[in-house]
Amino acid sequence: MIWKLAWRNIQGAGLRSLINIIIIALVMIGIIWSQGMYEGWMRTAERESREWLNGDGRITHKLYDRFDPFSWDKSFEQIPENIQDLVDKGTAVPVLITSGTIYPEGRMISLIVKGIPAGQQFLKLPTAVLADGGDDIPALIGSNMAKSSHLKEGDIVTLRWRDMHGAFNAADIRIAAIMKTPYLEADNGQVWMDLERLQLMKDAPKTATFIVIKDAGDVPQTSDAWTFESIDFLLRDMHAMMKTEKTYGYLMFALLILLAMIAIFDTQVLAVFKRRKEIGIFAALGMTQKQIIRMFTAEGMLYAVFASVAAGILGMPLFIYFGTVGYRMPESYQDFGIEGLSEAVIFYYTPAMIISTVIIVVVITAFVSWIPTLRIARLKPTDALRGRMG
Amino acid sequence: MKEILISTRKMTKHYPAGEGKFTALKDITLDFGKGEFTGIVGPSGSGKTTLLNIIGSLDTQSEGEVIVLGRDISSLTTKESAALRSRDIGFIFQTYNLLPVYSVYENVEFPLLLLKMPEADRKKAVTEALEWVGLTAKIKSRPGQLSGGESQRVAIARAMVKKPHIILADEPTANLDTENSMNVLQTMQNLNRDMGTTFIFSTHDAKVIGFLQRKITLVDGMVASDEINGAAG
Repeated sequence: MIWKLAWRNIQGAGLRSLINIIIIALVMIGIIWSQGMYEGWMRTAERESREWLNGDGRITHKLYDRFDPFSWDKSFEQIPENIQDLVDKGTAVPVLITSGTIYPEGRMISLIVKGIPAGQQFLKLPTAVLADGGDDIPALIGSNMAKSSHLKEGDIVTLRWRDMHGAFNAADIRIAAIMKTPYLEADNGQVWMDLERLQLMKDAPKTATFIVIKDAGDVPQTSDAWTFESIDFLLRDMHAMMKTEKTYGYLMFALLILLAMIAIFDTQVLAVFKRRKEIGIFAALGMTQKQIIRMFTAEGMLYAVFASVAAGILGMPLFIYFGTVGYRMPESYQDFGIEGLSEAVIFYYTPAMIISTVIIVVVITAFVSWIPTLRIARLKPTDALRGRMG
Repeated sequence: MKEILISTRKMTKHYPAGEGKFTALKDITLDFGKGEFTGIVGPSGSGKTTLLNIIGSLDTQSEGEVIVLGRDISSLTTKESAALRSRDIGFIFQTYNLLPVYSVYENVEFPLLLLKMPEADRKKAVTEALEWVGLTAKIKSRPGQLSGGESQRVAIARAMVKKPHIILADEPTANLDTENSMNVLQTMQNLNRDMGTTFIFSTHDAKVIGFLQRKITLVDGMVASDEINGAAG
C-alpha cells in the first residue's frame, strides 16, 4: 500500500519527480563512469605489464633491487636447469640486467642494459630485431628513450659497461629498432639487446637476473638464490598508486553523492512544507504517522530506483563508448611515468561496481528522504490541515 | 432509545494564546445517536470546527470526557486514533481537501487502501460510491479539473466509501452555490436515510438548516441551544 501510494505521488508530481530522477541518474552515471575508468585503467596497466615484461610473475635473483644499480653487479646467477627447461619450452624468458652508459652526440647517459633472448615470443617486445647480429651489436630502445636520448633507428652509439669481474669495456651498438610500448618500465632509460650477447659482454654465460614466467602454476622449486615474485607483488607500486587515485575517486564520488543528496533533501524538505496540507489529509483519512513517514521515504527510494533505470538508459551510450573505444589520456600524462595511460584506457564496469553504486545511492536517498519527514511525526493533523508546521 | 455513538461530558478545549489561553469550547455535554443528521451552527469562531476535530480524534480536549464508539478519545494513542479515523469516521471538509495528484477514482479509493481491502472489493466499493454521487463519468479526472460541487461530491464519496459509522462534515456547502449546495445536502441526506450513517456537520449556511433533524447552536464555545425537528432538546 505504501509503495502504491508513493508511486502515485511520484506520478502525480510530474516534472518535480522527473528532475529528481534525472539528477540522481546523472550522479549514478558519474559514479559508475569514474569507477569504470579506474577499473579499466587498472586492468589496462595490469594487462600491459603481463604482456610486455612481467608475464604471470618472475623468478628473480634475491639480490636484485631494481632501484639500486649497485645491486645489479651481484644479482645474477646461472639459470637453474629446471627453469632452463621452461625457457627451452618457450614458457619462460630470462632477462639479464646490467648498468651501462651511452655517449650519443657527445653526451653521457646512464642506462639499464637488458639482455633478452632474441627468439622469445610470449612477451610483446619485438626482440626478433636483436638477432640480426653480424659485426655490430643490434639494440632495441623504446620511443621515450629515443626521444630523451635523441637516438634514431640505425644510429650507432658507444656503450660502456662493466663485466662481472669489474672491468670496464665498450663497444658500438646499432639502434636496430625503436619500439612503441605502452609499458614504460620496458622503455624509459634502458636499452635491450640479445641475452647471449650481453652474457658474453658481461662474461657471465647462461646467467640471468630474472626469468619471466608465463604461468605462475609452472614455477618450479629453486635454490635460495632465487625467489618467485607474483604479478601482484610486481604490480604493488601501481596498486598503491591506484589506491591513492581511487581515494581521489571516492572523494569525487562522495562529492557527487553529497550534491545529489542535497538536491533530494532540499526537494523533500520543500515537499514536506509544501505538502503539509496533503499530510493533514492523509492523517485525517486515517494514515498513521509511521505510514506517512514510510510513504515519503518510499518516494525517495523509488526516485533512486527509477534513477537507476534512467542511468542505465541515459548512460548506456557513454558506457558503451568508453567501454569499447576507451579514453586516451593527454600525452603529457606519459611523462609522469604512470603505467596504463599511454594507450586508450578501455573502461571496465563490473556487476559489483554497478550493484554497489545502486545500493549506496538507494540507501542514501532513502536516508535523506526520511530525515525531513521526521518533522511530520510531530505534526498535529489539525495544524497540518491548516497548512501550519505546528 | 437510539444507540449513542458519541458522547461528550463537560468537554473543554483551551488553546495557548500569548501568555494566557483561549477557550474554544467550554463544558460541552452532548450525545449523538446512531443515524442522526445533526448540524452544529453558530457564527465563525464559536467552536464548531474544534468540536468536530475532537469528535473526529484529530484533536483532543483539554478537560472533560469524549467517548466515540465506546472509546475515550483522550486515551487513544496516535496509532489508535488513526485507526479509528480510518475505519469508523469519514471527513468532509469545506475546501474539499482532495489529494491533488490523485484522480477521482484514486481519491475515493484511498481510504480503502488504508483498510487493506482487496483490489476487487475496492473497485466495487469505489464504483458504487461514485455512482451514489453521480460522478462515474469523471473517474479519471484530477481534482483540478472538477467544479466545486463535483469536488465536494468526490469528498462525500471518499467519506462514505468505507461505510463509516460517522461522517463529520465541516462547512460542506460553504464554498458552493445554491444548486450545488442542495445537491450535496440531498446526497448526504440520502446516505443518512439509506445507510443509516450518522452525519454531524458544522455550518452557518441558512440553506442547510432546513435539512437538519437536529440543530445544535454554539455561541462562544458553549451550547446555546439543542433543538430536534424545531423543538428544543
